[in-house]
Amino acid sequence: MAQLDTAQQTAFFVRGPSPATRLVVFGLFAVVLMVLDARFHYLTEIRQGFSAMLHPLEVAARAPLAASRHVRDYLVLQADLVEENRRLRTRHLEQQAELQRLRLLQQENEQLRRLLGAAQASAHTTKLGEIVLTGRDVFSRRAVINLGARHGVEAGQAVIDADGVVGQITRVYPFSSEVTQVTDKELAVPVQVERTGLRAVAFGLGRDNLISLPYLPTSVDIRRGDLLHTSGIDGVYPAGLAVARVVGMERSPDSPFARITCAPVAGIDRQRQVLVVRTQVAAPSGADIEKPRPVEVQRARRQP
Amino acid sequence: MHAASLKHVYLSLLAAMVCYLLPWSGVGLLLRPDFVLVALLFWMLRAPHLCNIGTAWALGLAVDFAGGGLAGQTALAYTVTAFLAVQYQRRLVLFSEWQQAGYVLLLLLLSQLIMLPLKLLSGGGLPDWLFFASSLSGLALWQLLAVTRVLGLAPRSSV
Repeated sequence: MAQLDTAQQTAFFVRGPSPATRLVVFGLFAVVLMVLDARFHYLTEIRQGFSAMLHPLEVAARAPLAASRHVRDYLVLQADLVEENRRLRTRHLEQQAELQRLRLLQQENEQLRRLLGAAQASAHTTKLGEIVLTGRDVFSRRAVINLGARHGVEAGQAVIDADGVVGQITRVYPFSSEVTQVTDKELAVPVQVERTGLRAVAFGLGRDNLISLPYLPTSVDIRRGDLLHTSGIDGVYPAGLAVARVVGMERSPDSPFARITCAPVAGIDRQRQVLVVRTQVAAPSGADIEKPRPVEVQRARRQP
Repeated sequence: MHAASLKHVYLSLLAAMVCYLLPWSGVGLLLRPDFVLVALLFWMLRAPHLCNIGTAWALGLAVDFAGGGLAGQTALAYTVTAFLAVQYQRRLVLFSEWQQAGYVLLLLLLSQLIMLPLKLLSGGGLPDWLFFASSLSGLALWQLLAVTRVLGLAPRSSV
């Protein structure tokens, strides 16, 4: 017994490499992947391919909910339908009237622009999508919609709903895309205060579903209840869309900046349909100036 | 009772993945147990020759790609958790029901703790204590699986 071979003893239990070896190998793999993804963004194609592979699974996972929704839609009371129909009809009438006024205004605007010789500021085309998921991650404010690269969606396009701006498309998969909401910490929206016309940049707070307006002096004229809408300066968001309403305004003596918090107007948790906006900004002067710039920079660098 | 086969393992892991892909939102998202990890731990205690650290790593990567987060964060958390499960597997199967549950709760909490700094690094605010609620619901899911073992529905541990 004393001569029992240790190798033989362990061979009785061996199932491939030891757990510690596996831990080190796979742990390293994971760390390398994280670095590749975070620093070099190498994994975009793999991610897209995997997402396409996963698509049938996702559809299967969503099927029961979609079916229950269909059943619920089917089993609506007649009275509810009549009521809703009536409400929609009155709203339609109201909006029709507004639309007529809008057309008039648009025409007038076009004429005035032609008179001024200015190019059309921007043209928008929209695409109706549906939110299929409001984020699997508690940390980031993201949603997944059912439009993807196959439907002509590109990263950077703005996403709005009936009430206002929802966010921006940040990642595009073949059949779906990811929308980063305005409340996400990584998203900034150029805004304008409706009452005063003051321009600012709104940043998502990343928690409590709030947006903050940093870098504004304590003397700034903003009140609780002020509406912020997009200024349209960045060329991503069309101008004049509601973004948020100011809910808190604090001036503390130990900070040169006011602490302003706003609540988003768009309801990502209330609405299911969203519009993906593609903005074509006509920037005649901007494009001309932008192009030669890199060459000049290179030359300037070579000279000394 | 029947011995666990590779088919059982992969089908149940697929089912766990589908559960993860269900459209959770709001409170449901906060309380959503980590289906995939619980399924992995279930098999790692019962059939470590079929489901090991490599399986955990691959499933973690699948979760990362599906969730859209930083690739590799869940893979790393699952790998470390799987190591601690496989390392003490032979002792764990001898534990009583509640001792096992306690250990599983620790493992679930650990995987969340590993992911916490990684998610903070890749952007996102500090969550409140409710973040750990999913470990508790994971424990509830584990106990549910333990009941199937008592009833004799689950595959026999093959150690």
